[in-house]
Amino acid sequence: MKSKRSMLFVAQGLICALTLVLSACGGAAPATDVPPAELTGSLTVLDWAGYDAEDFWVDFKNTYPKVTVNFEIGASDADIYSKMKAGDQADIFHPYTGWLQFYVDEGLVEEIDTSKLTHWDKVPENLKKIGQINGKQYFLPWDWGFTSILYRTDKIPEGVDSWSALMDPKYAGHISMWDDGPGAVTVSSYIHGYDETAVTADQLASIKDEWIAQRDLNLFYWAGEPELVEGMKSGDIWAAYAWQGAYALLLGEGVPVAYANPKEGRNSWVGMYGIRKGTENLDLALKFLDAKLAEATGNNVVNLFYYGHANQDVMSGITDETLKQAFSVDDPNILNTTNFTPNLTAEQRDAWTAMWAEVKAAP
Amino acid sequence: MNTHRRSTPLALYYFGLVTLLYLPILMLFLFSMNSSASLSFPIKELTLDWYKKLFAADEILRAARNSLSVALGSSLAATALGTMVSILMLRYKFRSQNILIALAVLPLIVPYVVLGVALLILFSVFHIDRSLWTVGIAHTIVALPYTLLIIASRLAGFDPNLEEAAMDLGADYPTTLRRVVLPLIFPAMVSAWLTAFTVSFDEFALALFLAGTQPTFPVYLFSQLRFANRLPIMIALAVLMMMGTLALVLVAERMRRVK
Amino acid sequence: MTAPPTPSVPSSSLPKIRRILGRAGRGINQRATFWFIYLPPVLWLSLFFVLPVLLMAAFSFRSDMRGDLFQAFTPTLDQYARVAATGSYWRLLGISALTALGIGVSAVVLAFPLAYFLALRAGHRAGFYLILLLVPFWTSYLLRIMAWKILLGTEGIINSLLLYIGLIQEPLAALLYNRTAVIVTLIYVWIPFAALPILAALQRIDPSLFEAAADLGARPFHQFTRITLPLSLPGVLAAFFMVFIPTIGEYVTPLLVGGSRGFLYGNIIQDFFTKAANWPFGSALSIIMLTATLILIAFATRLIDFKQLFE
Repeated sequence: MKSKRSMLFVAQGLICALTLVLSACGGAAPATDVPPAELTGSLTVLDWAGYDAEDFWVDFKNTYPKVTVNFEIGASDADIYSKMKAGDQADIFHPYTGWLQFYVDEGLVEEIDTSKLTHWDKVPENLKKIGQINGKQYFLPWDWGFTSILYRTDKIPEGVDSWSALMDPKYAGHISMWDDGPGAVTVSSYIHGYDETAVTADQLASIKDEWIAQRDLNLFYWAGEPELVEGMKSGDIWAAYAWQGAYALLLGEGVPVAYANPKEGRNSWVGMYGIRKGTENLDLALKFLDAKLAEATGNNVVNLFYYGHANQDVMSGITDETLKQAFSVDDPNILNTTNFTPNLTAEQRDAWTAMWAEVKAAP
Repeated sequence: MNTHRRSTPLALYYFGLVTLLYLPILMLFLFSMNSSASLSFPIKELTLDWYKKLFAADEILRAARNSLSVALGSSLAATALGTMVSILMLRYKFRSQNILIALAVLPLIVPYVVLGVALLILFSVFHIDRSLWTVGIAHTIVALPYTLLIIASRLAGFDPNLEEAAMDLGADYPTTLRRVVLPLIFPAMVSAWLTAFTVSFDEFALALFLAGTQPTFPVYLFSQLRFANRLPIMIALAVLMMMGTLALVLVAERMRRVK
Repeated sequence: MTAPPTPSVPSSSLPKIRRILGRAGRGINQRATFWFIYLPPVLWLSLFFVLPVLLMAAFSFRSDMRGDLFQAFTPTLDQYARVAATGSYWRLLGISALTALGIGVSAVVLAFPLAYFLALRAGHRAGFYLILLLVPFWTSYLLRIMAWKILLGTEGIINSLLLYIGLIQEPLAALLYNRTAVIVTLIYVWIPFAALPILAALQRIDPSLFEAAADLGARPFHQFTRITLPLSLPGVLAAFFMVFIPTIGEYVTPLLVGGSRGFLYGNIIQDFFTKAANWPFGSALSIIMLTATLILIAFATRLIDFKQLFE
């Protein structure tokens, strides 16, 4: 069928041409002093899976209904960073603590003019500081939470008071660690009192050996919260490295779990929004970031994902008992002993991720 | 075909395997009606809630539609390319022949994540934005070895004398191809197309790397997997899609038998 | 089928393009047809397969991820040196290849009866039965494996059944989260696909061969070993390689059911791309795996003449 063949050939040619043409067209109409309800334009946000749901930018949607927001999905911090490095044209992206320094060093992020943010004063100082690199506000804090050991109170009645529970032979075959090298280095640093910002090569080697040995106690590494939740629910997992989202979810399902307050202190992480350097939609992006801090959006983050939100008012407005327990809202001391994830340098990132790969490859 | 030989053990084997294949599907079906949002027994309560919520979920349906278009486009392209390479492989002799065959089959050895990054590098260098097109292109590459294998197997089995005869009767080669070869290998082309479609429809790793702002269904599913309470709706959709396909297949079989 | 009358042109010159040009009028059409069939796949493969892989190979000579990724850089062998220095990666590559080998053989052996049934026993229903086999693959792999895990898990159906019968006192943890689970799951997933090339090969066997053999007194077993098996060999080998080759780089299944020790080489590669944002090192690991696989294939083509299989 020669005609079919030639049609296909032509179609292929068209596809190539069309792709090139479409990629050449880009950019949005600049935002001018137009009333919000009339403002048009488009934004692209490189975000994690699930955050593209309207619940998480509902304030922006309501204030600027005519602006189109497109989402690209990033599977991990590494994926988001790789895509930005490869020239992704998203206007806004969503990295987490630990991964912030690189964007600044590689000139990928725009400084945020906080005077244009109407909700900025609702953000607590310590969160603002975490978004500052080299003294400049490059990132806007948005979601945050704890990392600690989540455990089944019926399987571990004596309770957990230290990060070393993740390496305890008593729980062999019932431990689950997060599949992340920097996370593993963090846990070991807490246990042994290493300075997380200055882990030496020797320390890293002993950390590697430690986690190689831990594999015999570890049932599986979890990559996403559902895996973890199912594992804890079924009783396969007794103790796990976990964020408080899993804790709140399991509490809500009536599973007997507790979220430890280890003597080394909990860990805390913060999700940040950054604006790509060189974006033509700077004003619109700032408006988006501002709306991200608003109350309705914040309430959704708390109620739907069980994550903390940067808006102070949202956090103090929590009434749900499960959530209050999850965030330790009533215990101010928690934050005092919490260690926030420091930002990695590129060398640390390479070394710690390589260490983890070698743990997985070890015989 | 000798059909009165005892084929019961073989038939049992086939149906046993089919049961094993469908068992997880059956479980998914049950879970899609489970009122509890988790993927475990016991089933709390049977409910059609998730299906109702599904039809309100525009993004899910859009993702499914995206997967459909990508699968359709890439499978057609892969079948066409596979047919071309098969003909080149078995009906022609030219210098770069072995290299072409090797290249067509080589995608099999490249893990999807590697191909994904390689294509991402390519598209980035040429400033081509990621989109359903880029996903589709990747899918044709990975489906090509399969379409080639299936079509070439069939083409190899049929007598080139038929083509000679046609040409002796006055047909030129293009007509011979069109009137003799293609109709005869058509069943293999359908088989190849089905395989390519299957490969593309549920493909996740490449789609994740190369998708732009429009996710395919597996990518969307992955995105929703991150948050356990969205899971049941996704399962409901997966079950629906499968039931739809099954229904189509049953109808096709019924129609064929009526003929 | 009777042979056609002696053609007016030597049969060896049809349809080999180079010797046809003598035929007035037809020559140009033949040529055009050739290019028409030749160019699309060649261009497509060169642009979307060869070029990307070459670019990635170039990346493996990059020292790190600093600066503009797509500008010229000074090449270095650092990444390869680092791989060479890490023995565990080589070991894992070998294990992955061996595991893939085992899975390939098992899948083909288990798929053969399936293909046999479809080709020679299912009759007119063969197409329907085939599609029935493939339909589950149009359900999300992720979801299917999640359900499959529930089958195998400690609270799963298999364990519940065994406990109920009394065969075991405690649920078996060994069904899941180890390398065996990875192997079993992969075989399970590959069987329907492996059946396809075998089916194609079996369908090509002229059924009159069996009649002839039966007439000559051959028993069914001999018919199988002397006719079916040898003639289906191209399909069997094709099926084996179709399963073996991609499985060497497999990484999804180990993530889902492999636990802490079921990782394969593909997982390491994936980690460097998606967790470490270390494309140069990941590229080096990939190139090494691709090279190793190519060597394996070259070795195999020495032993088996593939083109011959198709003639």
